[in-house]
Amino acid sequence: MAKIAYYPGCALNERSSHLDRSARDATVKLGFELDELDTWTCCGAVPPVSEERVMNLIAPSRILKDVRDSGRDILITICDFCYNTLKRTNYSIKSDEITRKRVNAFLADDTPERDYLEKDDSLWEDYEGEVKVIHLMEYLRDELGYDKIAGSLEKPLKGLKIAPYYGCVMLRPQNEIQLDDPENPSIIEDFITALDARPVKYPYRTECCGSYLSVSNPDASTRLCYRILTSARNSGADAVVVSCPLCFYNLDSRQKAITEAYSDFKPVPIFYFTQLLSLALGVDCGRQGFEKHYVDVTPVLDKIGVSTGKGDE
Amino acid sequence: MSENMGLAPPKSPPILLTREVVNAGFKQQVNELSGQHMDACYQCGNCSSGCPLAQEMDILPNRIIRLVQLGQRDDIINSETIWICASCFQCTVRCPRGIDIQAVMDALRQIALDEGIDHFGPDQISPELAASVPQPGLVGVYRKLAT
Ligand code: SF4
Ligand code: SF4
Repeated sequence: MAKIAYYPGCALNERSSHLDRSARDATVKLGFELDELDTWTCCGAVPPVSEERVMNLIAPSRILKDVRDSGRDILITICDFCYNTLKRTNYSIKSDEITRKRVNAFLADDTPERDYLEKDDSLWEDYEGEVKVIHLMEYLRDELGYDKIAGSLEKPLKGLKIAPYYGCVMLRPQNEIQLDDPENPSIIEDFITALDARPVKYPYRTECCGSYLSVSNPDASTRLCYRILTSARNSGADAVVVSCPLCFYNLDSRQKAITEAYSDFKPVPIFYFTQLLSLALGVDCGRQGFEKHYVDVTPVLDKIGVSTGKGDE
Repeated sequence: MSENMGLAPPKSPPILLTREVVNAGFKQQVNELSGQHMDACYQCGNCSSGCPLAQEMDILPNRIIRLVQLGQRDDIINSETIWICASCFQCTVRCPRGIDIQAVMDALRQIALDEGIDHFGPDQISPELAASVPQPGLVGVYRKLAT
């Protein structure tokens, strides 16, 4: 089975382990394996505030260089924050000579045995942005092909209406990310269609859910999530699909605060795209980590005739 | 929860324009840190109209840019806006003049943080939140809002 280098990132390693597990399950069904890097660190979640903070580029650069040094040129990641950070770091290394030199100077400094013990006499090779950072959904679209998914469904999600939610950093800034049109994207819609479900049109799919304001200003995030979810619900969505752990957290667990603040609010189940994918590919419902969700997903599963498997695990 | 849903922020107070203030080099500092050109902005307001957090701000994004052009450092670094901006890049994508307004917000945050005052400290987060928010939220908030 083909193995592709995979960077899970902190969230998937722990708090969003259900995103990680469903992704691994689904990709195995599709004939390739997410091969987690032997060693990795946090990528830093957000690229540096300005060029002056070159230190914030070091962790993601080291991750990328390790991938290159292991002889691979593609790195898959799933968390939108990791994707954004790794891809933009790679972009600045590739496109800006000064950044490239400064980052490599730090990285070279980082391997003391080279200087002091001379254990490693291989030629030092600057990291020049050789690795291609790919979002798992991008890999499914461009490398595997959505038609391959459509052809492997064991449990088509027929009859489900699903609202795609892009959020912010999966698509933007578009000149560096170049995943899809930042204002009129279709990558998630096409993904939903490939699972035989119907994508719902609503105006808030690329509107921010509050991101890290969830920590510093939770009320603001609650208001944003209320707008997004109500719009999706009013457009007929049975559920909302996301790929980012922070979007998931905001849209799912914040529904508690939304329900308290807005009497007209009706809960909307939230899914990771990998959960829908692995369900549709026939992976057991009990492996999806639905117990980690705040909003009950049973009404959606009932619609497609999947038993919740509660207590199965 | 405040009740200002759907309302535009209050009118900004009058500003004092003197040659000294305007020429004190604040705009140049922001240009340098952000890699953007403040003078490219022609005040169309597109950034503010698309900003999902505009309703929460005390100074709208386009006004921030205008105030930078006019060197109004104190008004800006004491504003709520720079801490409410969620770095979502909506403004950046929509600016017809190609200004990365998110980068400008980053630069302004950095200028404010360089004074040594954290906007959000570890003591301000509730234990339940700290135990449940996915790590990008935690790392992100401290990278953006603290030194
Ligand atoms: S969108 Fe650009 S040009 Fe228009 S007001 Fe905002 S910064 Fe200025
Ligand atoms: S990056 Fe900040 S200012 Fe720009 S649209 Fe998003 S929240 Fe508003």
